[in-house]
Amino acid sequence: MSAAAVGGESPLRRALRSGRVVVGGSILVVLLFCAAAAPLIAPYDPNEQDLLNALKGPFWTDNAAPGFWLGTDNLGRDTLSRLIYGTRVALFVAVCAAVGTMLMGTALALLAGYFGGVIDWLISRAVDLWMSFPPVVLSLILIVGFGVGIGNVILAIILVDWTRFCRVVRSEVLVIRRQNYVDAARLSGFSHMRTMVREVLPAAAPTIITLMSLEMGIAVIVEAILSFVGMSVEASIPAWGVMIADARNYMYQSAWGLVLPILAIVTTVLAFNLLGDGLRRTFDARLQQH
Amino acid sequence: MSGEILGIVLRRIAVAIPLMLLVSILVFIVLRLIPADPVAMSMPPNATNEDIEALRREMGLHLPVMHQYAIWLGHILEGDLGRSIAFGQPVFKLIGQSLPATIELAVLGALFATAIGLPGGILLFRLRGRPSEQAVDVGSTLMMSIPEFLWALFLILVFGVAFNLLPFAGRLPPDMTIPRVTGFLLLDCLLTGDLTAFLEAIRHMLLPALALALGTVPLIMRLLRSSLLDVIGEDYVTMARLRGVPERRVINRHALRNALLPTLSLMGVQFGFLFGGTLLVEVIYSYPGLGNLMVEAVRNTDLPIIQGAALVFALAVLTINLAVDVVYIVVNPKLRRAR
Repeated sequence: MSAAAVGGESPLRRALRSGRVVVGGSILVVLLFCAAAAPLIAPYDPNEQDLLNALKGPFWTDNAAPGFWLGTDNLGRDTLSRLIYGTRVALFVAVCAAVGTMLMGTALALLAGYFGGVIDWLISRAVDLWMSFPPVVLSLILIVGFGVGIGNVILAIILVDWTRFCRVVRSEVLVIRRQNYVDAARLSGFSHMRTMVREVLPAAAPTIITLMSLEMGIAVIVEAILSFVGMSVEASIPAWGVMIADARNYMYQSAWGLVLPILAIVTTVLAFNLLGDGLRRTFDARLQQH
Repeated sequence: MSGEILGIVLRRIAVAIPLMLLVSILVFIVLRLIPADPVAMSMPPNATNEDIEALRREMGLHLPVMHQYAIWLGHILEGDLGRSIAFGQPVFKLIGQSLPATIELAVLGALFATAIGLPGGILLFRLRGRPSEQAVDVGSTLMMSIPEFLWALFLILVFGVAFNLLPFAGRLPPDMTIPRVTGFLLLDCLLTGDLTAFLEAIRHMLLPALALALGTVPLIMRLLRSSLLDVIGEDYVTMARLRGVPERRVINRHALRNALLPTLSLMGVQFGFLFGGTLLVEVIYSYPGLGNLMVEAVRNTDLPIIQGAALVFALAVLTINLAVDVVYIVVNPKLRRAR
């Protein structure tokens, strides 16, 4: 069922009445601001070392150093600045990877669900093949194949996660394409392409939007995992996963160095999940009745 | 009944074989893209061009790609996964040494996930419509936002560093060794009758297994809740209520049995993911399993190990899915044919 058919109100307004959407969206606005304005709001250069002030705690601890609000890492780099710059990598990967997986997964799902037959069989078997790898394993071997770097990380996430979109959107398309208005479009002389994009796709849009929000959270996690094992961005770019990997060796001296980037990741993923969850509830007629 | 199950198992294996072949092609192709040159990595820096050419021929790298694949596949079928570049040992042996540890960890993790997830799902369902539902719901969304590798670090910080309750490195204390019988440490401890070592091994596995489980628990909870929501409107549930059966019993005896089925079939997929989750958890807990071996190999670009481990991971996922399908048929009376 399309979103507009559920109630008279516009979908955006209904979404904004959901607490989840508002909270998730607000956190994301703050994170986006941090990413965009990083050079303006970060107190230090994220790679600037101050070895005399290494492994300091945040300001509320006994081990704090003046000027370093959230403490420093083992090389005396400012944790707050690195966290702020880290939002850039996280959000960039999240947005690019989600758009990429959406395009690839939805295109294949449309083809499979709309045409059925051999095309559907081939695409569904490809999904089975992909699903027989744990996602982490597949993304690791792809990164080994492509080499490190932020572009390759995004590509690897797209090539791993397109199946998530494909499976869900395909089953949606299977239902939509049996609707009368789709037949009507074909009968009135619309081409297959036009029917898919103009008639079928909009009906699947609520699902696609929800999945994208969830996918952004997944992309943040995968990027963090890859940078944790040293297979993501170059060493000079601050990323949360790298901060965790660095801080893990010094957790007895300064546990906060480990806790803060973990919190940053969890908060970001939580924001995407709240947004996705809220949107799903807004769009899903069945859940609204409960 | 048992013949039927056998038939289904055979049919599933027949589907899994071409899938495994495709998996092997995928692994081979992806790792052929690799920018690093395997020949250069296995040669000393002062090697001559003739040496390099000889090794290329020995490794079959002068042959067409499909031909190389055929040779590689032939070796695999003979149980030869090649030799590790970094360790110089057969990959088959290295994987054989580390796989039992991973299986033990994944099984314990799956047990924990089930033991926490199912009661959690019932709780979530019981709270429907109450004010506390929102809080628990947001709590489960929060839990969904914490992947197992962050749980792993978090549990170390709390139980290892802050309270110093549980160990978080390796499988046994450094001064303890157990003779290798089956390779499964817990089993070996019992076989050699060493209860102290058995308890120590369990203690070492608690945190990593819990980290694995916590990544899966919220999904199981949500699955069970929505399955319960689906069956609670059925006539037999209403009938039970009309007969005056207490609500607890309605859920546990009537609704739960049917709601567990769809939950079970989706749990298979989740346990496949859980097996993949061992990768990072093992790295974080310095746990000597397949995941640790693979990440180490990724860092060293040790191609034969990466290929071998990837294949074993895929095989494990297919096996888990098959096992869950079989259990599903065994416990689902609707799928049993009347005799």
